[in-house]
Amino acid sequence: MYLVIVGGGKVGAPLASSLINEGHEVFVLDNDPDVVASLKRELGMIATIGEATSLRALQDAGASRAGAIIATTGSDADNLAACQLARTNFDVARTIAIAHSPENAELFDRSGVDLVVSATDLVLANLATALPGHPLIRLMPLADRSQELVAIKLPSAGTAVGHTLSELRLPYGTKIVLMITSAGLSKQPDSDAIIESEDEIIALSPANSTTELWELLTELR
Amino acid sequence: MNVIIIGAGNLGSSLVRKLSDLGHRITVIEKNPKAVSMLPSGRIDSGAITVIHDDGSTGAAMLEAGIASANVFIAATGNDSLNGLAAQRAKTIFRVEKVMAIVSDEGARILYDSLGISTINKATLASDRLVSVLTEEA
Repeated sequence: MYLVIVGGGKVGAPLASSLINEGHEVFVLDNDPDVVASLKRELGMIATIGEATSLRALQDAGASRAGAIIATTGSDADNLAACQLARTNFDVARTIAIAHSPENAELFDRSGVDLVVSATDLVLANLATALPGHPLIRLMPLADRSQELVAIKLPSAGTAVGHTLSELRLPYGTKIVLMITSAGLSKQPDSDAIIESEDEIIALSPANSTTELWELLTELR
Repeated sequence: MNVIIIGAGNLGSSLVRKLSDLGHRITVIEKNPKAVSMLPSGRIDSGAITVIHDDGSTGAAMLEAGIASANVFIAATGNDSLNGLAAQRAKTIFRVEKVMAIVSDEGARILYDSLGISTINKATLASDRLVSVLTEEA
């Protein structure tokens, strides 16, 4: 697929390199001549100097034949504008943007960006997995943030421990996707699977009932 | 009317003064404390104009400026995409009746216009005015 990456910095440059390795055709747009020069040196003639929000620059980068545009600049405002300009002027099928501030992630979603990557959410999720005894991690928002993939660690003295999955009164719409034991082994989440102390439960949860799910799974005896 | 203006540069300040002359309640959000020196200090002291030092594109600054009771929101910083983002937040998140954005790029003007934001391109406005003055003289 032909992909236009807007912003060739800390995220854009390694992204371009890995997409090229996966066999995609990639073109990068950046307003910093030094960034463009270094991309050309390392990856070939795949970058040009231009503003993220300039129609001329997007055209020069080949937006009109791009299957997707990925906006990775440090400015949320420019990332949103680049996606919206690419959609309305060049009919780009898929728009992807990084939102550095969480409130902008929500705004991007509502403003028609197809896939929003929230930088803060990613960092928080990664930090949380590294900490001992993390109770709830929001791994990924899905379906326009109406659902989310979450990981919940069960306390050893939890009321759920010793019960089967079918005995739990899960909130409506919740689906347990996977269970991982404290030894790191995965268990199929069948209805007769028994919940053990310090299991990690990966669940697809409607965003408005995640708290309820968390309370149910972490309630103490 | 309650009007929120973000950006107190040359254009923002002059807008604040004129709308304040017409008797509107103005709240200005400006990041740079020095920029507000262009605003009429008497009106600030009397409370007719409120100034907030913050990034006006954030929801927190908009709430502090009383966006829930604002009739008009005008994004007038010097950055087109920041104006576009702020205007979209005012419109889609806070549902302000009248949302305007000042831009200097024609592509941005067409985009934000299509999203229901009243957009003014200050560059083409100035050049149109110059052309009409020259045509009248000729």
